[in-house]
Amino acid sequence: MIASVRILVAVLTLVLAGIANAHPHVWVTMHTDLVYAPDGRITGIRHAWSFDDMFSTFATQGLESKEKGKFTREELAPLAKVNVESLKEYDYFTYATADGAKVELTDPAPGYWLDYADQVLTLNFTLPFKTPVKAKELKIEIYDPTIFVDFSFAKQNPAQLVGAPKCKLNVQLPREMTFAESKRLSEIPADQKNTTMAWGAQFSNKLVVHCP
Amino acid sequence: MSGAALAQPFGVTRGASSYDVGGFAGWILAKQAEFYRMLSGLIRAAKADGSAAYTLLGISFLYGVFHAAGPGHGKAVISSYLVANDETWRRGIFLSFASAMLQAFMAIAIVGIAAALLGATAKAMGDTVRVIEIVSYALIMLIGLRLFWVKGRAFLRLLRGEKPAHHVHDHNHNHHHHHTHGGAHHYNHAHSHHHEHEDEASAWGHTHAPEPQELTGRHWLRRGLAAIVAVGLRPCSGAIIVLVFALAQGLFWVGVASTFVMGLGTTITVAAIATLAVGARGLAGRLALAKPGAGILLMRGLETAAALVIVLFGAALLTGYMVSERLMG
Repeated sequence: MIASVRILVAVLTLVLAGIANAHPHVWVTMHTDLVYAPDGRITGIRHAWSFDDMFSTFATQGLESKEKGKFTREELAPLAKVNVESLKEYDYFTYATADGAKVELTDPAPGYWLDYADQVLTLNFTLPFKTPVKAKELKIEIYDPTIFVDFSFAKQNPAQLVGAPKCKLNVQLPREMTFAESKRLSEIPADQKNTTMAWGAQFSNKLVVHCP
Repeated sequence: MSGAALAQPFGVTRGASSYDVGGFAGWILAKQAEFYRMLSGLIRAAKADGSAAYTLLGISFLYGVFHAAGPGHGKAVISSYLVANDETWRRGIFLSFASAMLQAFMAIAIVGIAAALLGATAKAMGDTVRVIEIVSYALIMLIGLRLFWVKGRAFLRLLRGEKPAHHVHDHNHNHHHHHTHGGAHHYNHAHSHHHEHEDEASAWGHTHAPEPQELTGRHWLRRGLAAIVAVGLRPCSGAIIVLVFALAQGLFWVGVASTFVMGLGTTITVAAIATLAVGARGLAGRLALAKPGAGILLMRGLETAAALVIVLFGAALLTGYMVSERLMG
């Protein structure tokens, strides 16, 4: 009897655990510039995020444009505003630490914009550091802690330093998830945000800058 | 095949990430992402070469199969519903099919009306989906509460030691059903019909009460309709994106076909899982035979638990929605 209950519970768990796992509907290919001031302190993170073609088409659906199938920056300005404002909730998926300590970023400076070329939308925005910092080791991680958006660096020219001649940039790509991790991830309901498990951090795209 | 809410990070929609993960779940995650990403290329290809449309349908089907294995509350709600109501696996397959088709239809209706006819924006479609989502989740909760009330009372009665044979029927009935059950009836609709009771075995050879109107097959369908609607109302974000993309390519009908085929793929997975749940329940019912008294109690408890799962699901989905909406601004 106990065994039968166990079997049943196991089967039901299997059924119910399977509910999880949302899947990607948005893929972002990134190029990121780290912008430094002349005094050697980093002042901002300049992102250029290109969305996949289906999402780009979806996002521009119904937007008015003078020329069919093309959008100017002005025409895309309202969408850019929605994008950037919505990203605030997610901390712009960008996390910085200077010599191991978390560094705060502020909301994007005005002047962000969306481009549309070859049916791909690219969101350009700069995240300023609340206080520019100088660090021996600076880490910038870009990931979605809820693992809803797929971020990956562009294969060519993924990131670069702007105005930091003495520093060295190292681009680290996400590591693979282990079986146990993917299993636990699969147990998070699809419609819920994964707030307790910051998986994304382990699978983030990481920029590490070493300065003398 | 309900993807994540059509809202979020970019103010337009939201999915999850595909990583090259290990394990079965990871494999499913990777596969559905892979198939999903193939869709855009195939839709483009179909524009130039009609035969690519067949490949597109094949991939759409696979995407549906894998997608349903991953996200979506549909199979959980359907499975729980089947367990709580002691439905047959055939009905489970029908419920899976009907809800997947409704889901496909909803996606097509939204994109067809909002995007194709009205030229609505992605945001407007997302807002529409969110309204539908609330209705759908609330309906799930209502179905769960209704079942929980009925099954929970039966369970409590049993616990108090009342003989199951004297229950008021605790069927998830439609209101018109009442008069068919006099108090003298010894029927108990909710119990497992795997012959736990020898005295009822002959009357309960069929999984549901062989009421005349039920034998016509209409009764359970009416009851299941709420579940079909609750699960199928909310369209899949992936299907909506694919449809909008196909529309932009001037191939809306290709998108429509793809969406329905995705629904067929979803049906396969959801039906398989639902069948598994029904089978598990059947197994428990047979095992419960060993201890007639405790067995009935166990089955009634199981039904109550399954109903509770539906309630919790509805609640989690609803509150999850609330959170994302509040944060969305």
